[in-house]
Amino acid sequence: MTMTHDVVERFEAQGHGAFVESYDPRDERMTINMGPVHPATHGVLRLLLVLDGETVIRCEPRIGYLHTGIEKECEDQNWRGAVTAVTRMDYLAQLHNEQVFSLAVEDLLGVEVPPRGKHIRTMMAELNRLTSHLVWFGTQALDMGAMSGMFYGFRERELIVDFFEMITGLRMNNNYFLPGGVWEDLPDGWERPLSQILKVMPARIDEYEELLSENPVFIERTVGIGAITAELCDAFGATGPIARAAGVDWDLRRDAPYDSYAGLTFNVPTTESGDVYGRYLVRMVEMRESVKMIEQLVDSMPSGDFKNMDPKLMPPSRAELNRSMEAVIHHFKIVTQGYTVPAGETYRAVESPRGELGCYLVSDGGTSPYRCHVRDPSFVNLQSLPAMVEGGLIADLIASIASIDPVLGGVDR
Amino acid sequence: MGGVSDAVGANFVTTRLDKLVNWARKSSLWPATFGLACCAIEMMATTMPRHDLARFGMEAFRASPRQSDLMIVAGRVSQKMAPVLRQIYDQMTEPKWVLSMGVCASTGGMFNNYALVQGVDQIVPVDIYVPGCPPRPEMLMDGIMLLHEKIKRGEYDARRVTA
Amino acid sequence: MSNFETEWVTPDEWRSKAEALKNEGWLVTDLCGLDARDLGFEHRYESVVQLLRRDNRERRTVHVAATGDPPTCPSVVDLWPTVRFMEREAYDLVGIHFEGHDDLKRIMMPDEWEGHPLRKDYGVGKVAVEFIPQPFMQIDAPGQSAMQGESRARLDHLGQVVEEPAPTHDEPAERSEEQTT
Repeated sequence: MTMTHDVVERFEAQGHGAFVESYDPRDERMTINMGPVHPATHGVLRLLLVLDGETVIRCEPRIGYLHTGIEKECEDQNWRGAVTAVTRMDYLAQLHNEQVFSLAVEDLLGVEVPPRGKHIRTMMAELNRLTSHLVWFGTQALDMGAMSGMFYGFRERELIVDFFEMITGLRMNNNYFLPGGVWEDLPDGWERPLSQILKVMPARIDEYEELLSENPVFIERTVGIGAITAELCDAFGATGPIARAAGVDWDLRRDAPYDSYAGLTFNVPTTESGDVYGRYLVRMVEMRESVKMIEQLVDSMPSGDFKNMDPKLMPPSRAELNRSMEAVIHHFKIVTQGYTVPAGETYRAVESPRGELGCYLVSDGGTSPYRCHVRDPSFVNLQSLPAMVEGGLIADLIASIASIDPVLGGVDR
Repeated sequence: MGGVSDAVGANFVTTRLDKLVNWARKSSLWPATFGLACCAIEMMATTMPRHDLARFGMEAFRASPRQSDLMIVAGRVSQKMAPVLRQIYDQMTEPKWVLSMGVCASTGGMFNNYALVQGVDQIVPVDIYVPGCPPRPEMLMDGIMLLHEKIKRGEYDARRVTA
Repeated sequence: MSNFETEWVTPDEWRSKAEALKNEGWLVTDLCGLDARDLGFEHRYESVVQLLRRDNRERRTVHVAATGDPPTCPSVVDLWPTVRFMEREAYDLVGIHFEGHDDLKRIMMPDEWEGHPLRKDYGVGKVAVEFIPQPFMQIDAPGQSAMQGESRARLDHLGQVVEEPAPTHDEPAERSEEQTT
């Protein structure tokens, strides 16, 4: 699967050009660059394609155009501050990044999150899954030419993102989960906007299905396209909707539950086809299941602490700072220096909208992570792209990329 | 004041012509797609029905740099991406403007490390900086409206000559 | 699933261990490089592999030491094709060479980059941010300039006063016209 053209190497040396890299007149094969600036590559993904007319003979993803050094940045921040860096990796599933990092730190610390904190986390994570799948729906429709799907998807996303702003203060990159729970409690009256969202979502998802599911053009462009078998999924390590669409019945929320997922009843959709249409169906059902899960969580929200108020972890409440000098010193130490985490290592994984999102965390007993490596699902899922597209047309390549739903912030970190 | 007045001298006709040209330029700025990271999602949300960038004539995001006037650098620019950014900027035809969206594009943002270019103005001349991580769609529209004021004033030519 | 089995292997043992794990049905979920300089291990560089077995829902971790200069350990890309990108990333960021990987080149950093950023002796690369303090401004009314008694001076991008060139044709009149907007 590698390019051994020395012509390609020479063109590489001149820059990452957006032009034809080489053309072989004997068999009329063209090596061409798609990206990193391209409207349909979902970010700064560069693909080296060897084409025979419109047919893709070889496809090689080249990444690294969004590498931000977040893992190195985490080593420079303290345990609480590293959440702000980690949340910007997979920027569409930002709360899942925070969740996996917080779970890993809680493992090393050996602290428990109180039930209300777990419930809030699970609820916000499922809402984040909804926003991520809505953006996926919009971009999948846009790439297939159904531009109105984009407007529908983002219309619902605005409702949910307004709710995020009410709870966390930000629309994206929320920095809301932290080791020990969540940062602030849900404000009074939070049920009302959320119940509005839950009331309209099923009908809106019906609207999306009406738009695309039986649309003959969409079916023509997605059924049988970009098919991948379950064995190839396991070989390439593809997880999430890609694997579930190929028949692999594995979902970390059900099979390795964390936070409040153990108490929820939900279905995990799978199909057998493994093609773009299968992934579309899996994600649509996942959206419906997320709505049901959020309803269960709203009904069963317990009262009590929303974060573990262990004085070694959390600063004291604002009212106490007015009364006691020790509280001020405690607050100062926690905010400036941070807390220490006992030496050790751990690996935790959660089910993000794209697959298994893992965090391998090493501590040397200090106030900042020694090594924080995030196993991003898109990084691994992208390796299955050549198997999906080689032998197909460029138009099918576009459909396959949209169905993998890569987020280059997570791929490049 | 603008291209024609600077070229052939300022009189009533040329300043009116400049005002017309600048008004036309600002009313239909076409952005080039340069969404890189999280800011790109907010940029997409700005074109969506809630915040509707189309009322400024800007919903046509052209993928080809030859057909666009405005490059909204939305997101963090890594060392590997910097030559690509410059190449796309060079391929854009005059007149062109650059809006740096978000703190990562303006100054490097929270990522003061080896991997990012600390501010896209180290590579291309920037007209408007919109801070935020990511900026709300309303903030981006405010930045775009400030850019419209700048275009109407015709400061374009005087600055580009020296850059 | 957090208390799971961890073991350390040397590079020579890794291939046979990997084949045994593959035959039992283990899948690799993650492989990353680790610079264990300050952790007190015997060797400095390691490749840490996270494995998962779906049928009995078990996870395990294997630390593979990378010895020599440059630090080297065997590649398992033929057993688990999923590690292709992961080993390239460990090579790029930590500098571990994987023997048997057919395409070991940089993946995140530009091809001509020197050094391996996630090593402990490689700094974060912070750039000092310089602030030029502005002169103390006594503003009594809106529209008043900070420079008392002078027309508004031009400041360059660092905030320092730029020497004005000799004015040509109508420029001063036009600029004062703009200031009222």
